[in-house]
Amino acid sequence: MEFLGIWIAAFLTLCIYSFLYRDNPFYRFAEHLLVGMSVGYIIILTIYFGLIPYAWDPIQKAVTGEASRWGFLTLIPICIGLLFFTRLSTRHAWLIRYPIAILMGVTSGIMIPNALQTDIFAQVQGTLNPFSVIGTLSSFEIFGAILIVIGVICTLTYFFFSVEHRGPIAGISKVGITFLMIGFGSAFGNTVMGRVALLIQRVDFLINDWIGTIF
Amino acid sequence: MKQQVPLVLCFLFGIVMILTEFSPHAASQATYKEIANWGRVISPFVLALAVITLIQTHWARIQRRTEHWQYSVVVFFGMILMVVVGTPLVIVGSPFGPQHPAFQWLFNNVQVPMDATMFSLLAFFIASAAYRAFRARTFEATLLLVTAVIVMLGNVPIGDIIWGDTASNARQWILDNPNLSARRGIILGISLGAISQSIRIILGIERSYLGGGD
Repeated sequence: MEFLGIWIAAFLTLCIYSFLYRDNPFYRFAEHLLVGMSVGYIIILTIYFGLIPYAWDPIQKAVTGEASRWGFLTLIPICIGLLFFTRLSTRHAWLIRYPIAILMGVTSGIMIPNALQTDIFAQVQGTLNPFSVIGTLSSFEIFGAILIVIGVICTLTYFFFSVEHRGPIAGISKVGITFLMIGFGSAFGNTVMGRVALLIQRVDFLINDWIGTIF
Repeated sequence: MKQQVPLVLCFLFGIVMILTEFSPHAASQATYKEIANWGRVISPFVLALAVITLIQTHWARIQRRTEHWQYSVVVFFGMILMVVVGTPLVIVGSPFGPQHPAFQWLFNNVQVPMDATMFSLLAFFIASAAYRAFRARTFEATLLLVTAVIVMLGNVPIGDIIWGDTASNARQWILDNPNLSARRGIILGISLGAISQSIRIILGIERSYLGGGD
């Protein structure tokens, strides 16, 4: 089975790399197979890690008496979820607004406190934290900590559109662009290296694992 | 009925989630957990609707024999294969399931190699796009170019072979200082935007998610 697996993986890898020459039936076959298998995989994951533990189990336990009758409450979100299928009927399609509105409300309600705690407070704390232990830092580290504060303020100023970017604001915003360009440059560099690492891994697979089965 | 009720539901659920999050009372925490779980129960139905749409699209392609319709059969083949092998149909005595070696074999030998290859393909296109787009015409463009080159050289052994530890140290300093400050600025900006958008949604000011019509 391992031999077969290596050959299938090698065939599909070469099918996808054939796109470097031009679009062709082999690439389209692999592309559509990937779409189909990914959808199938997500369906299975959703059933096993979404529907069964959060929908099926509570109701089953409530029926058998293993858990309290509160488990029947799960029928409410199931009914709300079923409303999504009204989208398939032209006459009742407007009913889809109900589950979407509930999901939007729940997500927005969770988002506000979470964004405050994990993003805003934590990021501000991380920016100012080095100054609480400034006595233990080297002069180079202090320079880095000051640079981060300046960078955060300037970047935020660049995204602050409530005032016109003129005079000192334009200057600060310009410094913000400089920091953003460094950020984008490093993101680009890391992305390229990530893709190249994947490429090396695939080429390594073809040379050592696949050709290794031939010779 | 068609507009007002969804807006009221959105407001109620949003307010309840905010209030219960900030209240330490046991009942409040239980309510928060229960409604958060409701979200997990509802989400699979969204996926189901997406899968139905995908099936409808590809089925229509097969029926109408449009160009490249044969590949829609491949989509169905891949999807059905994974679902059948991943589902233990106890009634018909199917021994499969997500933990079954056959499902793992398909995942490891078909899906993972294709995923990795598809993403590695981007290395070629990102390189060719960079070659065409990266021109050091302005100070900002030069800065982006230089930073990207330093980060890439700091990531590979050749950088350290040429300049000793300097390449990897420079890369690490860039990532830990100017890059971090830019990212923090972006994260703070996104978070403030997300909070304001969430408030607009809960208060019913932003209602584009309801779609058009009455």
